[in-house]
Amino acid sequence: MAADKQTKLLAKQLFKLSVVDGVVSPEQVAGVLGWVEQRSPRRPVALLKAYHHRIAIELAKSRAEVEHAGPVTDAALKLIEGAMSQRYKRVVTASAKPNPSLLAGLRVRVGSDVYETSVAGQLAKLSV
Amino acid sequence: MSNVIEQIEQQIAKLSTKAIRKNTGVIRTIADGVAKIEGLSDVMYNEMVQFPGGVIGIALNLEEDEVGCVILGDVSGLKQGDEVATTGKLLSIPVGKALLGRVVDALGRPVDGKGPIDSKETYPVEKIAPGIIVRKSVSQPLFTGIMAIDSMIPIGRGQRELIIGDRGTGKTTICVDTIINQARINKVGLASGDKNFRPVYSIYVAVGQKQSNVVRTIAALEAADALQYTIIVAAPAADNPANQYLAPFSGAALGEWFMENGMDALIVYDDLSKHAVAYRQISLILKRPSGREAYPGDVFYLHSRLLERAARLDGKGSLTALPVIETQAGDVSAYIPTNVISITDGQIFLETDLFNQGIRPAVSVGLSVSRVGSSAQIKVTKQVGGKLKGELAQFRELAAFAQFGSDLDAKTKATLDRGSRIVELFKQPQLNPIAIEVQAAVLYILQKNYFDAIEVKHIVSAANSFKDFLTSRKTDLLTKIRNEAKLTDEIEAGLKAAADEWKSTFVAK
Repeated sequence: MAADKQTKLLAKQLFKLSVVDGVVSPEQVAGVLGWVEQRSPRRPVALLKAYHHRIAIELAKSRAEVEHAGPVTDAALKLIEGAMSQRYKRVVTASAKPNPSLLAGLRVRVGSDVYETSVAGQLAKLSV
Repeated sequence: MSNVIEQIEQQIAKLSTKAIRKNTGVIRTIADGVAKIEGLSDVMYNEMVQFPGGVIGIALNLEEDEVGCVILGDVSGLKQGDEVATTGKLLSIPVGKALLGRVVDALGRPVDGKGPIDSKETYPVEKIAPGIIVRKSVSQPLFTGIMAIDSMIPIGRGQRELIIGDRGTGKTTICVDTIINQARINKVGLASGDKNFRPVYSIYVAVGQKQSNVVRTIAALEAADALQYTIIVAAPAADNPANQYLAPFSGAALGEWFMENGMDALIVYDDLSKHAVAYRQISLILKRPSGREAYPGDVFYLHSRLLERAARLDGKGSLTALPVIETQAGDVSAYIPTNVISITDGQIFLETDLFNQGIRPAVSVGLSVSRVGSSAQIKVTKQVGGKLKGELAQFRELAAFAQFGSDLDAKTKATLDRGSRIVELFKQPQLNPIAIEVQAAVLYILQKNYFDAIEVKHIVSAANSFKDFLTSRKTDLLTKIRNEAKLTDEIEAGLKAAADEWKSTFVAK
């Protein structure tokens, strides 16, 4: 069931409570989940889904998903982490994800930003 | 030397491997030509966004956790979960003289099958209207070729004159006639070699119209050899609402290019009622709050920002706008008509009753007005047609009154006679604009009572006969009127002589 306006608003408030100093706090999240279990608010499933969605978006901002076609070393991941942390002024952790369709190169995704150095991406750009 | 080459090559290599940053989002829902997108955290208002398959959209709603985009293309290939990217560009369309004689869609892509358009420049579709400092007041005439309009409701270059009326009252016909008249004037002016001559290029924007009507308009312009000075922007009824919403703005961008480059242009928005409906549809789908008649709150701003782009610029050109509004049962006090009436510099109101009586163009003299055009009217028209509006108004008032009785005094009878002759004289077939010098000559002989001896039912044929006489035998006199643009003693004598000569040969049939 889709969340109504009130549920969305509550999810937003719970989300705000879960973020401490711009970072999602696991303790706060546990607290929020406990509160939901205890108080059983209206439409709990829709509320938790909306809450989950917001937390996932926020966590994605601190995570660099590195898609790669060839091998990628830990040193390269560290370099990416450093560059992205500097750029976004927050701690960004990198994780590798193989994607052979890129042909060669990397595609790094941080939140809604995508950094494209893959051959597939460049070919796609040429075709436009 | 080889060191330098290596340096350049290294630079190229560095550039070609540089990461491209894209701001992306994911389609959450898609319906009725509108996509709700999650992500796109850097998107700007009105920015173009790239959908898969080369489809373009515009970000119209920037909400807290999603972006509402209207899609300007085929939505059938898009699905939930597709990736969308920002482009960093505002929607722009190709502009320039290369588009003259062409039919394009709301994005400036040719739809006439005449091949690609060789245009080097682009202009943004949405642009802030020129400010106060750069503007100049309207003082140059724009002749429509329609006698009733040019003599009583004159239009100037840079003016916004609304054409309003019910369906089937001849609104589009007036616009097409005006475009044809510009083409005729352009041909004469350019052939004369006059360096001061400023041609008027026309843009016809068809919004929400039947494809067959658009084809008919194109055919009429082509038959009159006016298409070479005209650009047609077509967003017909079958097009998606987003394109219908954008088409007038695209047309304005095309017109602005002429204006900014020191040329004069005329733009016809046919029609803004359907434009408002398309915008309402988009707004409702985007879940924007609706107001009166379910239109969104910014429908006034939609039309004011569009029509404010028509202007006359100091040291540059001008853009004259003829917006069209279709009323329902003659109700000019509905929401969209009153909005556009208040934005424009006057209106030409077409009445169904007059149309059905055979008075065509069915211009209602009482309700039509031109607020700035009189300062643009040439002297000869003022001299010969200055009293016409008053005479017609008196006639309308007395005609209603005279229906109740048959005993009329001589003065009333004279006013009625004159009025009925003026009404007959202003009847004009469609696609047949009359040159301003011919209009002036006809109005001169009306003023000098040459038509008084002719029966009312023969006025139209008499006027046509006089026009033929002038165009075939008195071309020098007509050229003189056109060039002098005022009634000098010499011209008056020439007109009198011509009228006497014609009168002696005219036989009413």
